Amino acid sequence: MKRDRSLKRWLITVARLTLGGIRNLFRNAWLSIAAMAVMFVALGILFFTVVLNVTTSNAITELSRNLKVSVYLEDDINDEQRFELETALASSPYTADLEYISKDDARARFVENFRDDEALLEGLFLVGDDSLPASYEVSAMSLDDFDRIEAIATEERFEETIESITLGRTDARATIERAASAQAFITSASALAAIIFTVISVLIIFNTIRIAIFTRNEEIRNMKLIGATPWYIRGPFIVEASMYGVISGLLAVLAVYGIIYSIGPNIANQDEFRATFELFTQTSTVLLATIATVVAGIIVGAFSSLLAMRKYLRLKHW
Amino acid sequence: MILLDRVSKVYGKEVSALDRISLHVEQDEFVIIIGSSGAGKSTLLKLLTREEKQTSGKIVIGNIDYDKLKDKEIPYLRRKIGVVFQDFKLLPNKNVFENVAFALEIVGHSSREIKHTVPKVLNVVGLRGKEKRMPAELSGGERQRVSIARAIVRQPKILVADEPTGNLDPRHAWDIIRILEKINRFGTTVLLTTHNQEIVNKLKRRVVTIQDGRIVSDKAHGEYKS
Ligand SMILES: Nc1ncnc2c1ncn2[C@@H]1O[C@H](COP(=O)(O)OP(=O)(O)O)[C@@H](O)[C@H]1O
Ligand SMILES: [Mg+2]
Repeated sequence: MKRDRSLKRWLITVARLTLGGIRNLFRNAWLSIAAMAVMFVALGILFFTVVLNVTTSNAITELSRNLKVSVYLEDDINDEQRFELETALASSPYTADLEYISKDDARARFVENFRDDEALLEGLFLVGDDSLPASYEVSAMSLDDFDRIEAIATEERFEETIESITLGRTDARATIERAASAQAFITSASALAAIIFTVISVLIIFNTIRIAIFTRNEEIRNMKLIGATPWYIRGPFIVEASMYGVISGLLAVLAVYGIIYSIGPNIANQDEFRATFELFTQTSTVLLATIATVVAGIIVGAFSSLLAMRKYLRLKHW
Repeated sequence: MILLDRVSKVYGKEVSALDRISLHVEQDEFVIIIGSSGAGKSTLLKLLTREEKQTSGKIVIGNIDYDKLKDKEIPYLRRKIGVVFQDFKLLPNKNVFENVAFALEIVGHSSREIKHTVPKVLNVVGLRGKEKRMPAELSGGERQRVSIARAIVRQPKILVADEPTGNLDPRHAWDIIRILEKINRFGTTVLLTTHNQEIVNKLKRRVVTIQDGRIVSDKAHGEYKS
């Protein structure tokens, strides 16, 4: 059968369905507001979870970068032994950075660090130039990798080479580990909250569309009889539900950016937060975050309305 | 134009509404289908608009074979057939103009085309100047005119009217019949069901009589005597 499928007719129809959907938004104002409020909370939590996650993992990475394993060398090793160790450490995939601190370097650092403590410097002078051992300072890709680096250094073949191993400042490591587990907890808790609120908004939108279908039952029957296609009938409902997503998505982005801009500047001067704050306040990130949140809202809305239509819009028997 | 060959319709398992109906209607014809209540008149028209599907037999309209019709083509079939119902089926929250415009909107006509076409059709059915009225503010006869306007606004080749005068007093009923005749003169095939004997007698058109789901007589123009 011949169908009129010109682009112009199609565009006019899309515009008409969009307008119809927006009009429906106001027909049932209170339900619309309820649907949008819950969806706003859901999308807000969702977006905030992402922000929180990026912030804490950036902070943890930044803190971990300052953490180093120091591998102190025996005084009497030859170059061959030293290079064997260096090769082993440098070729490990867990090593982010490797630095050799010679005895002279160690001494220079010591002097630099304790410039003001004359008694200590005097002590060092008395013990002799050779008193501080040479060492390798290894930094890792992530917190978990320190153990693996340690494992290399404690291999038997290096027994003669290595005097001792210290893991940076151990208290720092404990703090970071605690932060990491807190991050994991907060992330999963807020993800769970986001899921719960998403389910609630699916239910509310489902119900809103169900009621809209019932109140327009007669109209839908008439539309069918005078030749409307199923998608023409579904269109306004999908648009209506998607509009909930657009509006609450935009509000959610606005709210989360409100939080970012009120807290961010206060902590952005700390090394571990600076990059994150800059990242989130970049124009491209703002744009991307807005689009992603709105699209998530549209998906939730459209999905809920399709669900309601599948159940209540009897378009099967045409 | 319209061809039915031994068409039967059984509702559910038991209720036989039409029994081997054969009917041929030419382009430009005006056919009156009469029969008492429950004879199967509405069922016949519903088969043509695919509100119901025939249980057996063949239906062909133009070059459309109903057996080959896919579900998703049904809306496009309905756009080719104008339908007028006994109970009007107007949208209560739209005014006269919007009700007629609706038929054009769903097929994607622009607002400009709609503003151009709708007044002309309202003119044909004599509703000029009542564009802004709501259905509730109209008489039964006027509502049926809106319904007719909506049915013809897409200029269908076929118009089916199921007891359009059933709810109207005689004077208004007659107005509606005159409008249908006018539409037929413009070249549209009209199928009209009624059980109003007076309309049948005065109209002098082809009359098909249905009784208990069968065609019991099919008389050409002028031959029919009640
Ligand atoms: N949807 C239906 N389900 C079951 N039986 C029906 C249905 N529609 C009509 N019928 C039956 O089919 C027969 C013909 O009905 P109908 O076509 O409406 O007759 P008419 O329009 O001539 O009054 C009647 O016996 C009626 O009860
Ligand atoms: Mg009937």
